[in-house]
Amino acid sequence: MHVRSLLYFFGEALKSVIHHGWMSIASIAVVSITLLILGSFIVINYNVSLLTEDIKEQVQIVVYIDEEANVRTLRELQRALTDHPELEEVRFVSKEEAMERLKRQMGDRAFLLEGYEEEDKNPLRDSYELRTTVPEDIIRVAHTVQDYPGVGYVDYGSGVVEPLFQFTGVIRWIGLLFMAGLAITAVFLISHTIRLTVYIRRKEIMIMKYVGATDWFIRWPFIFEGLILGLMGAVVPLVIIFYSYQGATQWMSGNIYFISLLPVEEIMPQLLNLLLSLGVVLGVLGSAISVRKFLKV
Amino acid sequence: MTPGPSLLKATKVGCRMIEIYHLYKQYSRDVVALRDINLVIDRGEFAFIVGSSGAGKSTLLKLFLQEIKPSRGSIKIFGRDLSRLKSREVPYLRRNIGMVFQDFRLLEDRNVYENVSFSMRVTGVPIREIRKRVPLTLELVGLKDKAFKKPDELSGGEKQRICLARAIINRPAMVIADEPTGNLDPVTAMEILNLLHEINIRGTTVIVATHAQELVDRMKKRVIVLDQGRIISDQERGVYINAR
Repeated sequence: MHVRSLLYFFGEALKSVIHHGWMSIASIAVVSITLLILGSFIVINYNVSLLTEDIKEQVQIVVYIDEEANVRTLRELQRALTDHPELEEVRFVSKEEAMERLKRQMGDRAFLLEGYEEEDKNPLRDSYELRTTVPEDIIRVAHTVQDYPGVGYVDYGSGVVEPLFQFTGVIRWIGLLFMAGLAITAVFLISHTIRLTVYIRRKEIMIMKYVGATDWFIRWPFIFEGLILGLMGAVVPLVIIFYSYQGATQWMSGNIYFISLLPVEEIMPQLLNLLLSLGVVLGVLGSAISVRKFLKV
Repeated sequence: MTPGPSLLKATKVGCRMIEIYHLYKQYSRDVVALRDINLVIDRGEFAFIVGSSGAGKSTLLKLFLQEIKPSRGSIKIFGRDLSRLKSREVPYLRRNIGMVFQDFRLLEDRNVYENVSFSMRVTGVPIREIRKRVPLTLELVGLKDKAFKKPDELSGGEKQRICLARAIINRPAMVIADEPTGNLDPVTAMEILNLLHEINIRGTTVIVATHAQELVDRMKKRVIVLDQGRIISDQERGVYINAR
């Protein structure tokens, strides 16, 4: 393509955007609104999965050691646990340490534990705290560890962990489904709106065909127009999301401090790439598809 | 973007603008628009194609522009067999045919200058060339002083002059006018026909489809009469013959 043609196409596209002002605004609004909903949802989804990751990270297996076990068995257990490929973290907690923790947890009422502190009176057991690389593996790993030598009993919060994982799984699927649905709606709405702008100009396209313009010559300005509309439609929600998200994180850190949101700098680059490329793809595709119908003269 | 080389060559060498042999066009089982059409139009001719509505005039013009394809028979334009024309070559064929329509088909939101330069811009003619040629063409059709008026500020005759200017600005070998006087009063209609005559004298082949009997008779040009899809008369310096 010549530079001259390129400039012409771009000029025509820009002229058309300005000339069909209301139609352009409508197209940009449709792109903006759909991308705004999509973008907000992505932001929410990010944070929900961050939150659930956080919760899942806290899930652990506690292996209480059999008090009767001899030193050799314990060494074997130690090796078996550290060599386990699915375990990310293996931490030994002595019964003294466990007692300290318990005291801390009881706070003011720690005096109740008085008398249990001495070495031979401590009712607690030595234990290992295990964390799996993939949180969802915890149940299976807990069952295998159960059979290791020197293991008294294993606690992984059964009855609590299962529904938690089910819940986070459902949340993730709902999120994906919702986003897919929104994306499809966006394509549909945008291609229809752009079809309308092309429809308004069908006479122009017909004349172009009669005076011998090639199909690509007719198509390019529309493609550029779609590009401009798509880009503008993506910038609007990006700006809105940026400022409202920034506000939200600030408000949350001041008021609901126990839920931490992803910082805005971390979310924006990904969102920027995604929404801009979506806007461009939607705009260009919408135009190209719409103009095709009118080229058959 | 230059015109397709093959078409350009054909235009220069051949003296036949249009050659049609045993051409049939059937839209459906019962609708036969053209039957056994044989027609040769040479370079530099001025020909009327006349007939009542439904006689097949529009179908014939659509075939010239490769808007539709014949059911049977051959059609050559500028010596080029249209059945062998690739669809990407169609735009270059059309650049050599200037079209004038009854309903003008102007862009209402653009002024006269823009409407006329439109067909140059969309075929990739450089701006310098456009600036040079548009004023000359506007002068030829008598719209020099109205270059910056919008179509709706102008009369029907003036609108048709814009349409004519647009048709000839790319210097086509042939101008085809489909009922160019259909929306005009008799005096204005005659002016438009005279303009077409002038364009013809400058070397462009002109084909006018019409059912304006009186005007056809006054021009004393070749008249091809269509009736129910057949050519029933084809005479030099002819007159409009009513079939029924």
